[in-house]
Amino acid sequence: MYEGIRSPVIHTPKTLSEFATIAYRYPSAIIWAGGSYLMSQKEYYPSEIKDGIIDLGSLEELKRITRNDRFVEIGAMVTASQLLYAGKLVLPPVLQEALRTLASQIVRRQITIGGSLCVPDMRLALSTTLAVLDAMAEVKYYQGGKVSTHWIPIAKLYDKDGKLLLGSQKALLTRIRIGLEYGDYHKFVCVEDPIRNTDDCVIVAFQASRSQNSLSKVQFCITFPSKAFHISKDLESKLSGMTLPIHPERVNTLSYELVSELTKMHSGISELQLERGRRIFESFLHDLNAQTLSS
Amino acid sequence: MKIECTIDGKALSLSVNSNKPLSLILMEDVGNRTIISHCRGKACGNCIVLINDEAELSCIIPAFRLRDATIRTFESYQKTRQYRDIERAYQATGNTPCPNCYASKTLIIESILQELTNNTRIKALGRNNLPLRDEEQHEEKLDKKAIIQELSLNTCQCMDMSEMMQIVEIALTYRRRKRVRRN
Repeated sequence: MYEGIRSPVIHTPKTLSEFATIAYRYPSAIIWAGGSYLMSQKEYYPSEIKDGIIDLGSLEELKRITRNDRFVEIGAMVTASQLLYAGKLVLPPVLQEALRTLASQIVRRQITIGGSLCVPDMRLALSTTLAVLDAMAEVKYYQGGKVSTHWIPIAKLYDKDGKLLLGSQKALLTRIRIGLEYGDYHKFVCVEDPIRNTDDCVIVAFQASRSQNSLSKVQFCITFPSKAFHISKDLESKLSGMTLPIHPERVNTLSYELVSELTKMHSGISELQLERGRRIFESFLHDLNAQTLSS
Repeated sequence: MKIECTIDGKALSLSVNSNKPLSLILMEDVGNRTIISHCRGKACGNCIVLINDEAELSCIIPAFRLRDATIRTFESYQKTRQYRDIERAYQATGNTPCPNCYASKTLIIESILQELTNNTRIKALGRNNLPLRDEEQHEEKLDKKAIIQELSLNTCQCMDMSEMMQIVEIALTYRRRKRVRRN
């Protein structure tokens, strides 16, 4: 043991009400889900952790996956690996693809859904994909002895730079809800490893519905892990209602509109990332064109 | 914090900081020689161990998650029969990882082999296992993309990916033969 550093106390609540009591008594305690992000921080060990750690590993109610006709609910402590195993019938294809490319199987066993969504300063594949799927997160706020529950759209959990916006109160993301009505065209692309090569990484998720060569309900999110979390409502509405195939020149114009929007709203995105983002976006539209022309 | 666990077949009671990473416990408290790097969770992939028979990165496992766990490092794994399949595959291809990543790459290959050979059992439990592309042809085709993703967890550049793939394929053949003989 390191001299002068006390071993942090580990609190292991078994129910959410136990969690509430502990969170009230130890307001600065660190909430521990999978731990892969916390343990990759430079100052993680050795360091003094004042109020100890609240380990969510024993909260069985956060480990459930339930499904009905309209939506699927996933507990925050479900791991990426468990969710992927939950099957093709339960998950939208874009989410399956995101989970598969998220990390290797060995790391996926460690990553929890809640943990990944609550990384404070970096947006990864799951946030991007769930934002596109219009998923909602159940967040419980603990203030004093009171608990309040809010359902917040995943897209509203972060600011434009991708920082988590859960406020200064003690909050716990308990589950997410994904609607089972989604488009018939899905794409997910992640270029470069977001952990090892954060500054060059680009993550893009896209979904849309097609009916009689017309595009509708387009949803699109582009993420530069530590720099930007971008949903372009303007481009989404421009694309929704377009007739397929889209003229190549129009595709080119739209992709440059995306670049200009990104440079206007976010600073720090590198030229390489912008070009990657633009080309990925273009490739989705070309792919839509190709599928329309071949059908 | 006192933690009771089994490391390489020895039941141990360790007194360590509750948030200490397993990689540091193995290096500093247990004196294991096969874990040689601590990347502080940056996923260099050089600290793989088997926890309850599943491969994990020991740098992102805190001590408090080790209660009653069975941990197997390369030190004890190299004495097992499973290791022979991979060792023979190294010999057959004439390619061996460098001493820095030998232990980790071998354990990653073991994890892939377990995934592939346990596929039938997992399917019976209703899981759609990752490394196989076509469920009906699973004995024939491996999902190379998924295997490459697993293998690239270790960042050491000492071996080409095609060499690694060849080793996995040969080791898998040995492992399947062994299973057939046992059945």
